[in-house]
Amino acid sequence: MAINNDSEFKSALSNLPRAGQRQVAARFAENVLALSKDARLKNAISTAKRTDITEDELIAAFASAKKASVDSFTQCGTECDWNSQAGHFVARAALACLQPVQPGDSPAWEAAMHARMARTCEGIASGRGTDNAEAAAQYRILTEFLNG
Amino acid sequence: MSATLARGINAFKEVIDAPIASYFSSCVHCGLCADACLFYNETGEEKYTPIHKLEPLRRVWRQEYTLFGKLGKMLGLSKPVTDAELTEWEPLVYDSCTLCGRCSMVCPVGNDITYMIRKMREGMSASGHAPEDMIAATTRAVNIGSPMGVKWPAVLAQIKHVQAETGIEVPVEKEGADYLVLMSSMEIINFPEYLSALCRIFKQTGVSWTLAQDAFEATNSGIQIGASDLAREIVSRIVVAAERLKVKCVISPECGHAFTALRWEGPNLMGKPYSFDVKHILEVLDELHKAGKLKTKGKDTRPLTYHDPCQITRRGGVVEQPRRLLGEVAADFREMPDAGVMNWCCGGGGGVSANTRAEPLRLQAFKVKKRQFEATGANTLVTACANCRIVLEEGLEHYHMNIPVVGLTEIIAEHLVEGE
Repeated sequence: MAINNDSEFKSALSNLPRAGQRQVAARFAENVLALSKDARLKNAISTAKRTDITEDELIAAFASAKKASVDSFTQCGTECDWNSQAGHFVARAALACLQPVQPGDSPAWEAAMHARMARTCEGIASGRGTDNAEAAAQYRILTEFLNG
Repeated sequence: MSATLARGINAFKEVIDAPIASYFSSCVHCGLCADACLFYNETGEEKYTPIHKLEPLRRVWRQEYTLFGKLGKMLGLSKPVTDAELTEWEPLVYDSCTLCGRCSMVCPVGNDITYMIRKMREGMSASGHAPEDMIAATTRAVNIGSPMGVKWPAVLAQIKHVQAETGIEVPVEKEGADYLVLMSSMEIINFPEYLSALCRIFKQTGVSWTLAQDAFEATNSGIQIGASDLAREIVSRIVVAAERLKVKCVISPECGHAFTALRWEGPNLMGKPYSFDVKHILEVLDELHKAGKLKTKGKDTRPLTYHDPCQITRRGGVVEQPRRLLGEVAADFREMPDAGVMNWCCGGGGGVSANTRAEPLRLQAFKVKKRQFEATGANTLVTACANCRIVLEEGLEHYHMNIPVVGLTEIIAEHLVEGE
């Protein structure tokens, strides 16, 4: 199965069970992890990827990612550093993997969107513009996950 | 007297208008404003009594505009306001006042103490006694167009992201649109979900709207720091864009002080009425709902509560709209104690969250919010101001409370009837 656009991507994600959503969301976050310097996120994402994760581990990893997310917000009135802001969206992607899920939530889609924002912020910071291949990378990651 | 102090004292004299003179002369020193102030309440320190924060301005009023004050000044019986005194007062005027307006609500003689603090900041700023962080933010707002340094390419990047996410085109520079949508830098940087929610809501409701390239920013740090000339410049960009695009209404985003700046202070700053309406996004959503255009389905079953942003609710009058909207999408909505016009501030308004040195005090003052949330038993917090949202997130994290904070516009978008 190959995924070539957001419509197919979203549809494939919505068919995944909760654990599958978390694991693939973690892979989306991992793909932009290099944009963050926060060591807490590496641990949180590694935990989210595991198939044998316990509820307690999930709660602890969520708390860690939440702290990283809150710590990395750009405060009102502060000059935005787009590199740091990329790190913030990595944290939010990690958080999306681990947050308690409500009916109607799509954590993997949410993580994918935050990961794309992280890449967009990197593009703004570097002056390279906002065209990037993150969406295509996510299609590939999901395809591999589904075929794996 | 130094030139900068003289500039500040002159600014004090200029801002003492009839309301301020009458407020000072009618103050009965009852101290009720102290109990209404979150900083006084949470620290117990008398220096945080709101009317006390105005002492230098009060002395200038007395010395310059009252008979006994003038006599006292001539005879050397009352000391002039000094630079050292303004240095001492700076944290009282900027760090421990969010311009939340709660003190004004309880004053038994009707003094609008918040208005007085806002005006006092004009003199503080002119005399060089404003926090460095706020000066930097204001400089960026004037030079770049955003207090956080956001330029149009960053907005375009978010537009592109949102278009990809929603599949909906974001209109830009569309002449004759009904609504001109503004955003705060906070929403552009931290919360792309706000624009995404608007796209979906406006598509469903068939609203004609646009963004403007030279007037996307709603915030106005000129108001916060106390520099009316800069505040006027920032408002005028929006007015020029709204008139050029011939819109009927400008929508103020989920940002508290932006609404105050544009809706309430704006026409006075410009010296003329607008040729368009200004509405907060919650007012627009409520109108669309009443007109039967905004349709939602299903309800959020989480117990949730609503934090009233001071500038939108207490100072802005948008009280019932968020409750009507929440009634449509929340099955278990719980009011906090003191909700509505007497709600307690998040502690970060009026430029306090932009002022790094104020952080320890802000987090101390947050304890009142903590008690409010705990009283509801809710596990989700909804608000309608991006600054409140981050300040709330920080406070909740600081006090180890695992409560997600979400924007009201986003919750509405999550429950839209789409694709019919």
